[in-house]
Amino acid sequence: MSTPKTPPKAVDDDNVVHGVVAEFTDVSSLLAACERVRDAGYTKADAFAPFPVHGIDKALGIKPTVLPWIALAAGGIGTCTALAMQIWMNGIDYQYIISGKPFISLPASIPVAFELTILFASFATFFGMWALNGLPRFSNPIFTSPRFDRATDDTFFLFLDAKDNRFDEAGAKSFLADLGGDFIEVVKEDDSPKSIPKFLLIGLALLISFSLIPALLVARMRVTKSTSPRIHIFPDMDFSPAKDMQQTSTLFADGRAMRPDVPGTVHRGEMIWDLDFQTGIELEKLAQTDAPRVRRLVAMVQSDVEVGGDEQAADAADAGEETSSEPAEEASSDGESDEDANPTALTPAAGPEVDTTPWLSENPLPLTDAVLRRGQTMFGVYCSTCHGMNGNGDGLVNRRAQRILATTWTPPSNLHDETLFEDAYPDGKLFSTISNGIRKMPGYRAQIGAEDRWAIVAYVRALQASQDATLEDVPEAQRATIEKEQTDVKAALEKAAAEAEAKAKESST
Amino acid sequence: MSHHHAVAPKPADDPAFTMPAMLSGLSLPLCVVGLIALVGGTFLGSSAVGGRFGMSAYLTAYMYAMTIAIGAMFFVLIQHLVRAGWSVVVRRVAELIMIMVVPLAVLFIPIGWAVWTGSLYVWTDAAGYQAEHHIPADAWAEKIRWLNPQWFTLRACVYLGVYCLIGCWYYSKSQRQDQTGEVTLTESMQARGGPAIILFALCTSLLAADWVMSLAPMWFSTMFGVYIFAGSILSAHCAIALLSFVLQKQGAMRDEVTIEHYHDLGKLIHGFVCFWAYIAFSQYMLIWYANIPEETVWFFTRYPGFSEDFGPISIALMVLHFGVPFLGIMSRHVRRTPWAVAAWATYILVLHFVDLYWAIMPEATVGSGGAMGVLASVLTVLGMVCLMLGLIVIVGARTRLIPVRDPRLAESLAFENI
Repeated sequence: MSTPKTPPKAVDDDNVVHGVVAEFTDVSSLLAACERVRDAGYTKADAFAPFPVHGIDKALGIKPTVLPWIALAAGGIGTCTALAMQIWMNGIDYQYIISGKPFISLPASIPVAFELTILFASFATFFGMWALNGLPRFSNPIFTSPRFDRATDDTFFLFLDAKDNRFDEAGAKSFLADLGGDFIEVVKEDDSPKSIPKFLLIGLALLISFSLIPALLVARMRVTKSTSPRIHIFPDMDFSPAKDMQQTSTLFADGRAMRPDVPGTVHRGEMIWDLDFQTGIELEKLAQTDAPRVRRLVAMVQSDVEVGGDEQAADAADAGEETSSEPAEEASSDGESDEDANPTALTPAAGPEVDTTPWLSENPLPLTDAVLRRGQTMFGVYCSTCHGMNGNGDGLVNRRAQRILATTWTPPSNLHDETLFEDAYPDGKLFSTISNGIRKMPGYRAQIGAEDRWAIVAYVRALQASQDATLEDVPEAQRATIEKEQTDVKAALEKAAAEAEAKAKESST
Repeated sequence: MSHHHAVAPKPADDPAFTMPAMLSGLSLPLCVVGLIALVGGTFLGSSAVGGRFGMSAYLTAYMYAMTIAIGAMFFVLIQHLVRAGWSVVVRRVAELIMIMVVPLAVLFIPIGWAVWTGSLYVWTDAAGYQAEHHIPADAWAEKIRWLNPQWFTLRACVYLGVYCLIGCWYYSKSQRQDQTGEVTLTESMQARGGPAIILFALCTSLLAADWVMSLAPMWFSTMFGVYIFAGSILSAHCAIALLSFVLQKQGAMRDEVTIEHYHDLGKLIHGFVCFWAYIAFSQYMLIWYANIPEETVWFFTRYPGFSEDFGPISIALMVLHFGVPFLGIMSRHVRRTPWAVAAWATYILVLHFVDLYWAIMPEATVGSGGAMGVLASVLTVLGMVCLMLGLIVIVGARTRLIPVRDPRLAESLAFENI
């Protein structure tokens, strides 16, 4: 690259004919000549004029360009790209609710589709024009003719290309003379070096090098350790002025940054109209026997925000549990004005051992793998601390309480007790207990959503089944593995026992 | 074949510049039939469907003619404003359509009458409407300050006065130039183009709000004026192309209006098809996105899930008013084929009626009024079109069909796109 090579064919090039050019003095003679060139069958001819000449395409027999089709196709691709991109991004890959609209929402996609249509179409038109014209091109042999400079000034030129099949030098010359052209001149092939000028390449290389500097700086920063604090280019984005939980704000009269729910509104996804689902009770049936209680339950569910310990205890007592009077007393001492929720008023006159409440006997959630896994997770988070991971009532809190001999401690139930099985303790009742609490257990209505509470109910049933299961409960396909595991364990135990025995014998002897 | 040389204009009294005899003979029947259909359609709507329906059908027909007339006025003004040379040969056709604002000012009387008798706009029954829709008193009081019969009538007089003033002034100056050929006339028309177009824009957007948007008095869209204007300028270009084509078919100005002029009109029609869609969508998308009940209500009454009559029209407008003509007039070959341009112009003129029908009629009743309602609407607009055509022919017979002594006529005659 450093030493400019002399083209080996330079001498020949001087003799290679590129074409023949002739001058015309006015537009009409040029057009007339063009028409005759076209009619004579020339296809590789070109006309040059200082200004656009109407009808010259037709006179030269130039076919309409395919550029409009390229633009149309690119525009269509732009539309499709924009739509596909937005459907993929916001509808499938990263679903994000914006302004409550559907993830795939056509009206919102139209502006981008519109922009990309235009962008693609204009790029295709611009670069398509370059490609169709064989651009960029640094030089043209016809520029070697000194008279040709006037093509941008006041003279008209007609050029017959040597590549045309009909071309022969003498014939072309006489033909042009016949057409009325002056200064007919043979254009030789350009003998200037074909390589791109050096200064252009150097300039391009410099430009690329400079443009890489920011990227290199960033790359260097990425791998360099520094003790100085990071630079915040957008401090207002790094340090959001948004308030965190429990912070104060001067914006509101009550000084709270956390805003309470607007009265009469429901959180997204929490609009559950099914009151049976919320209470675990068939309210229609209950209404026939105990309408006031239904009213209280409905009021309680609907004003969940204000639900305090009173209602929880009340409902628990209401459920006919054999409770110690403790929570009830606590409740009535806490209860300030809510007479309705007074547990004594709720307790059925017939006595606590008869439970007439029409509990839901079936879990309203579909029992899918996902629901059970969700129940397992929630059980692990909220229930296992007291009830233990397998539900036998021996969680960490209970163990600790036993160890310190806590006097007020009521041990949590063993969930594998027969009184808590499905026939004795319906799903709805279990749900209600989780929601409202019992004895020392607080209600979890506020912490766990209704759906998750039902998932826990489902998981507890699974736990109970698992502890009492026989081999017949296991699907046949999996029995073999379990049997194998059993024999393995048995063998391991026997082996361990034998070893221990042998050791004992050894030590005794 | 393309001409390379400037074409010498024909003498001013050439028969090619007069209204063809066939059309002149039709003018009176057109006027009579049109007037009968217009009145008949309105009464059919009133009697067969209900009081408000008939006047709404009349308003649709009226707005149809009015938007085309003021669109043509915009065409004339903008050609002067930008000192366009190409359009001179079709400018007289545009002026003939433009001057229809004068008879249209007279035809506004039934609408003014309806405002005072309360048979068109719901806000004319101010107290009743407020009570029926539980509108807060303070909000309604502000509405009523703008929407009351006295102030409405006064404004309508101002709009129509401005249109008649602009229309008559430009028409008479152009007529005078036919006789004298003064270049100063062109200069003064150009000089007044700027102020006239400002007045025009002000009147057009307020007119759209007053006459159409106030049909749903609590609804508002700042885009609505532009929406009506977009349909107006689009249909005006179509009307100019179609009328030129018909006149040429009947033997007038055959050498003057060439493929090149149709090509340009076709390009502008294509552009304004996009403009209409752009404006219509902009209006819809902002309202859809913000999702504020008092704004969405207007689209809700036209929503496919809500209205069996107008829901399909909403969908159809997207496809037929934008998609089909967008692809149809895209090709250069179509634009350079006069009969194809005329056919597409006719198509869009039909769709322009559907567009206005869609904007106006849902506010008249909940449905389309059944077969009788559709018949009344179509009859009314056909009557209006016949009446306008008759009047255009009558006025056109008393003048020349191109501005024969316009200083740019030679330029227009020699105009070539490529």
